Amino acid sequence: MLFYVQVLLRLSKQNHKRISLAVPLISTAVVGHEFGPYDVTIHTERAIAYAKAVGGDESPDYGDSLAPVMVVAAALTELIEDLGLFSGGLQTIHAGQEASWDRPVKIGEKVDAIGRLAANSIRRGNHFATVSVSYKDSTGSEIGTSSTTIIVSGEET
Amino acid sequence: MTTSNSQRKVGDALTGFERHITQDRVDAYAEASGDHNPIHLNEEYASTTQFGTRIAHGMLSLALVTEMLTSAFPNSWHHGGKLKVRFSAPVFPGEIVTTYGEITEIKEEDGQLIVTCTIGCKKPDGTDAVAGQATVPLE
Repeated sequence: MLFYVQVLLRLSKQNHKRISLAVPLISTAVVGHEFGPYDVTIHTERAIAYAKAVGGDESPDYGDSLAPVMVVAAALTELIEDLGLFSGGLQTIHAGQEASWDRPVKIGEKVDAIGRLAANSIRRGNHFATVSVSYKDSTGSEIGTSSTTIIVSGEET
Repeated sequence: MTTSNSQRKVGDALTGFERHITQDRVDAYAEASGDHNPIHLNEEYASTTQFGTRIAHGMLSLALVTEMLTSAFPNSWHHGGKLKVRFSAPVFPGEIVTTYGEITEIKEEDGQLIVTCTIGCKKPDGTDAVAGQATVPLE
């Protein structure tokens, strides 16, 4: 029985309603597979939610800029969705994260993220996947990079 | 108070802070990131996972660490800063976590001072939720 090749009830990331049947891409994608581009533009509402989640009395003043990791997190959400990891029966552990940033990003500034599967292997029944992401502004200039390593365990049927 | 770049030296601690990770913060982070995975939000679902209850997003803990870095290096962190971390343990809503950092190296590369720091975020029992390294080019 192939690992992950099973009919899965997929959970919507927005409202958790069961909406479709899917085989997660992580079980079939090969190294080099590209994801996106994703529009990871962060508007005011999400910036406010970020401040509510993270902020405190000693928080720095970002002015009209964003914490770059917020853009990384937005791209990661898209990647997790595309890899099929919101599926029922799969448990994903975010094991490692790298990020670098060349300049601040403004609230509402258009940023596109393009991902690439850099590694995907199975060890002891768990998937280990690394996805590298490049972030580009509206001129096409790269303004940051990230690399995410995840471990996925699932149920065999 | 921010330390000037000329005053920084190996062994200097970054000013960390404590944060109470409430479910409200986790809910807000889900809105901010778009990550509505039920392991963070739905107790009934989370009780069936290996953790047995809801956990905070790992990126929320990392966001706290980058708050510390932004405060420590206000003109530098967003211009060429890099980090590499591992997520070692989950943070559960209700826990108070503490960020920390220490300068471990200062070197010059092509006329640019580069600071390397250990960074992380500890759980109440002292174990690391997030731990790793950051480098920051000083202006």
